Amino acid sequence: MSGLDWGILIVTLASIIFYGLYRSRGNRNMDDYLLAGQSLPWYHVCLSVMATQASAVTFLSAPGQGYADGMRFVQFYFGLPLAMVVLSVTFVPMFHRLRVFTAYEYLEERFDGRVRILTSLLFLLQRGLSTGLSIYAPAIILSTILGWNIYWTNLIMGGLVLIYTVTGGTKAISYTHIQQMLIVTLAMGLAGYMTVHLLPESVGFTDALKVAGKAGRMNLIDLKFDPSSRYNVWSGLIGGFFLQLSYFGTDQSQVGRYLTGQSVGQSRLGLLMNGLLKVPMQFLILLVGVLVFSYYQFHESPIFFNKQETDKLKNSQYATQYQLLEIRHQLLAKERQKNVVMLESAMDADNDEAVAEAKKSMEETDVAMKEIKAGVVDLIKKNNPAADTSDVNYVFLRFVLDYLPHGLIGLLIAVIFSASMGSIAAAYNSLASTSIIDIYKRRMHTTGDDRHYLSASKWATVGWGIFCIIVAQFANRFGSMIEAVNILGSLFYGVILGIFVVAFYMKSIGGKATFWAAIIGEILVVYCYMIDLTAFLWLNVIGCVLVMGIAWLLQRVFRS
Amino acid sequence: MNGKIPDLPPFVSSWKQLYAIVIGALLVEIVLFYYLMISFS
Repeated sequence: MSGLDWGILIVTLASIIFYGLYRSRGNRNMDDYLLAGQSLPWYHVCLSVMATQASAVTFLSAPGQGYADGMRFVQFYFGLPLAMVVLSVTFVPMFHRLRVFTAYEYLEERFDGRVRILTSLLFLLQRGLSTGLSIYAPAIILSTILGWNIYWTNLIMGGLVLIYTVTGGTKAISYTHIQQMLIVTLAMGLAGYMTVHLLPESVGFTDALKVAGKAGRMNLIDLKFDPSSRYNVWSGLIGGFFLQLSYFGTDQSQVGRYLTGQSVGQSRLGLLMNGLLKVPMQFLILLVGVLVFSYYQFHESPIFFNKQETDKLKNSQYATQYQLLEIRHQLLAKERQKNVVMLESAMDADNDEAVAEAKKSMEETDVAMKEIKAGVVDLIKKNNPAADTSDVNYVFLRFVLDYLPHGLIGLLIAVIFSASMGSIAAAYNSLASTSIIDIYKRRMHTTGDDRHYLSASKWATVGWGIFCIIVAQFANRFGSMIEAVNILGSLFYGVILGIFVVAFYMKSIGGKATFWAAIIGEILVVYCYMIDLTAFLWLNVIGCVLVMGIAWLLQRVFRS
Repeated sequence: MNGKIPDLPPFVSSWKQLYAIVIGALLVEIVLFYYLMISFS
């Protein structure tokens, strides 16, 4: 990074934080601190829920997924617009009418204190762990760029967010989200444009997509119903619907965002706009990854995108073996460039036979390059058994640093930082509000005044910040972070959603049956995951259906 | 209404219409993505 990049990074982040703090002066009570006084318009709600969901993981992992696995990940978001409609019809009016701070307060009104506490605890466990992953995501950027120790980087990253969240509360989070989303849109657009611009002169945007398509990266839609396939239309529409409904309807980090709306209509409109914008946004982020893939078809790609690990290898006893693999990789990269040029000419000439031949050669080269990469991964493992052997999260970052112009590098790093800070801040805020409103105020200290609980909320934010930073220290074991976050969510969200579905729609079922159904359901979901029964998105459906079915059954048993 | 502004969505006359637009947009996106996949593969 040059001085210009550092300047842009520091100015962007500082202006976001100071503006957020400036606009959030005067948090006098819990309502101001946790709900921004329920005073925000729909576009605040929309951008805030988008920024909370789109963490640094989105901008690091998703282009990497596009590069390695193609566009099929976009199907994961197909359930989101449907979930926004259901939320607008049911959850939003209910939460506003009851004037709750957290989603879990409603459960005590409907069932009893036990169900409220259990659901709060499931949320705290899941959100606490996944926030740790969200801290780790930008921390790997710093550690890669500056060669900093990853553990210290986690500590600095999580600590900085902590200071600004504790001081500014929900208003600071919401105002910074708006700036973050504007910067993200600008910078990712520029990154996509620059990627196309860097392609050889004869290769345009459409040609780049054609090359990616022939290599299987334009795999946007899979209509085959296959429960073991991670991403297809059906897992996206059904599993994704349950996951998103649970995430936006029962995860306090999101509920806390749309409860800041000044009316039911403003909260509703914010969510529906999110439903309209999210799928195109995710499509464009993955497209940047696919364009990076096309770029590397015409230029030599690194064998392994995590430079830190390959540098270690170069200075180890395996250096000679690595160098041999590197030479073979360079030869194959040249071969691949020839094949791609052949493919392009064949496509221009509409020569199907030549296209098939070029495609076959590309596939053969691809297999050979994958074998070389597997060899490098083996060496990395031998050299450092604790090393992260997945490089998906490093693909986009490495491309940015190696090929994009100075200034844009700083802006993109600022994007990843600010996006991460936005989602981590919302998570800290939600962990604190649930701990204080649903547990501390409800069970441990019921007679305090508003000032006491405001102070307790700030201390709870500090406590959760420390917990999340500790989790971040172990996050490098999870492979692709975006998948790790979603898998973790799927283990808990289905059960939590099941509790809310029983609360809303199964009026004859009481608290005792729901409480035990949730415990049994959670055990069974974890068991399903451990035996690898199905792709993780379906765990959301399984968890929800299990809680509904078991609660119905137990209600009859308890009644008899 | 006690002098309150009705909580209606902009551009359309009811929330149901806005729900239909959100679902319709999703269907259009799926069809477009399918078309893109076929065109480039």
